[in-house]
Amino acid sequence: MATLEITGLRKTFGGVVALAGVDMTIRSEEILGVIGPNGSGKTTLFNTVCGVYRPTTGTIHWNGVDIAGMPAYAIGRLGLGRTFQQAMSFPALTVRENVQIAIEHGSRREDGAGPQWSSPEELLEFVDLEAFADEVASVMPFGNLRRLGVAVALGGHPAQLLLDEPAAGLNEGESVQLIHLLRRAHELGVGICIIDHHVGLMAELCSRLVVLHFGNKIADGPVDDVLSDPKVIEVYLGGEE
Amino acid sequence: MADKRPPMGPRTNSAWPSPAALILTTVVVIGVFAFPWLNPGYRALSFAVTTGVTAIVLYGMAIPFGQAGIMSLGYAGLMGFGAYTAAILSRDFGLNMWEAMPFSALVAALCAGLFGLPSLRISGHHFAITTYVMCELLRIALINGGKFTGAASGLDLPPIGTVLGVKLDKLSNAYMLVAGFMFISMLAAYCVANSRYGRTLRSVRENEQLSRSIGVNTNMYKVGAFMLSGLFAGVGGDLQAYNFRHISPDLYGGATSLYFALMVMLGGPRTAFGPLAGAIIVTFLPEFMRIDPVDSRIAYGLALIAVVMLIPGGVIAAVGRGYQWVMRTLRGPHAGSADPHSAQV
Repeated sequence: MATLEITGLRKTFGGVVALAGVDMTIRSEEILGVIGPNGSGKTTLFNTVCGVYRPTTGTIHWNGVDIAGMPAYAIGRLGLGRTFQQAMSFPALTVRENVQIAIEHGSRREDGAGPQWSSPEELLEFVDLEAFADEVASVMPFGNLRRLGVAVALGGHPAQLLLDEPAAGLNEGESVQLIHLLRRAHELGVGICIIDHHVGLMAELCSRLVVLHFGNKIADGPVDDVLSDPKVIEVYLGGEE
Repeated sequence: MADKRPPMGPRTNSAWPSPAALILTTVVVIGVFAFPWLNPGYRALSFAVTTGVTAIVLYGMAIPFGQAGIMSLGYAGLMGFGAYTAAILSRDFGLNMWEAMPFSALVAALCAGLFGLPSLRISGHHFAITTYVMCELLRIALINGGKFTGAASGLDLPPIGTVLGVKLDKLSNAYMLVAGFMFISMLAAYCVANSRYGRTLRSVRENEQLSRSIGVNTNMYKVGAFMLSGLFAGVGGDLQAYNFRHISPDLYGGATSLYFALMVMLGGPRTAFGPLAGAIIVTFLPEFMRIDPVDSRIAYGLALIAVVMLIPGGVIAAVGRGYQWVMRTLRGPHAGSADPHSAQV
């Protein structure tokens, strides 16, 4: 099982402290949710872990390997996959070619979890997009584009996936479809760590929650404990509870 | 048409062209090799040799531009590296065209890697301008290179000589030689576009950040695409030097690079016949229509604006779409491809 160990992770942009020394562990056998108000540092956390930003201080160990400051592609090759807050794809290419490129690069790795996808069709069937294989990605409905983003990340043969608001902009039905997809990916052995604002969705999907607030971790534990934590209710859930 | 398949190839993943594309390719190959027997005259034939040499460079250029989406205005300079390498190796070491070719290709590829380095930091117009400046700097360096580069008057080369009893200095034979290399370049560019490597370049063009996240070292791919295209430019430079028998710095300045860019955009960088079509149109059209050189430059400017605005994929891609539209119309509204984005046959 793969483990991502983050200790004392701090990231500042000029005078702005995005992450103020976060400690957390992500294990691939669980589905972990990261919640927090806007600007609490969730996306910065993912971007720093995945090599988009270099951490100001702190360490990030992926299966014992120090990946802090490594380039994004090298981290991707180590089996740490991700999706982006904006639904990303290779827009002018067909859906098939989108996942084919990911598979061609993912299939070189031996240490990823889940199956080695033998063909783009197999992966497209898994994410329920086989009917769109010949469509150009940019003309697909938004919900499909979100699933294509997950497919591209899965094609990269990751042991752990970091998903940045994969359900943002989706309707009820599409969200359910996505949760179902992530569960099936997890059953294949891929670790799932997900950022989302939809507390109901997170409560249903995740086994553990981490709450960030102004770059600090204020709660970490089983979903029910975290959601009933007075501190969390005060800063995040507010009137909802 | 054969054209649209290489880069996008939406319908299937097979690199094999459709029957219609194969027929068209056969017609083009036969047409090109039959050209000298039509008695085109010395002037037209020497224009054709220039066109062929240029097309070789353009097929290289189509890899970073068409696949990776990075436009460089340095290709005349890279061709110049190939040509001057051939001339200097001939003068100082007595190497002939064939012996110099790998060196020309290698030198141009290494320089192409250097020319491509700025693309890791800057993109779009900024990168294009940077490479234009590098090309101009090369021209100035060649002019001031003293005896080593022959300064402003340039360098002379010996004849190509005879291979297997064929006198390659005869213009029609030289034409066949260049046409052969041109088709090899076309095939090579096609194979690159349809390979895993070509697909990865397209992913860099479409979304660099996403490409990196699945483990693609995008910087390596970008520089690699430039180096690959440099091989084409080097071979083109070597062939050009031996066909002209005299080279000078003015052949390899920024202005020539601009013409190359015009040709590749006009013809279409992502189509199998686009670069060849672009080279033919830009080289032959002013000659056939007897347009004054200054007027023709104005016409090119207008043509380029028209292409970018009306047919962004280039002339050949537009012809391909037109052909498909006709076929769909003939077959009836519900037959054939329902996907408006697949422009392949």
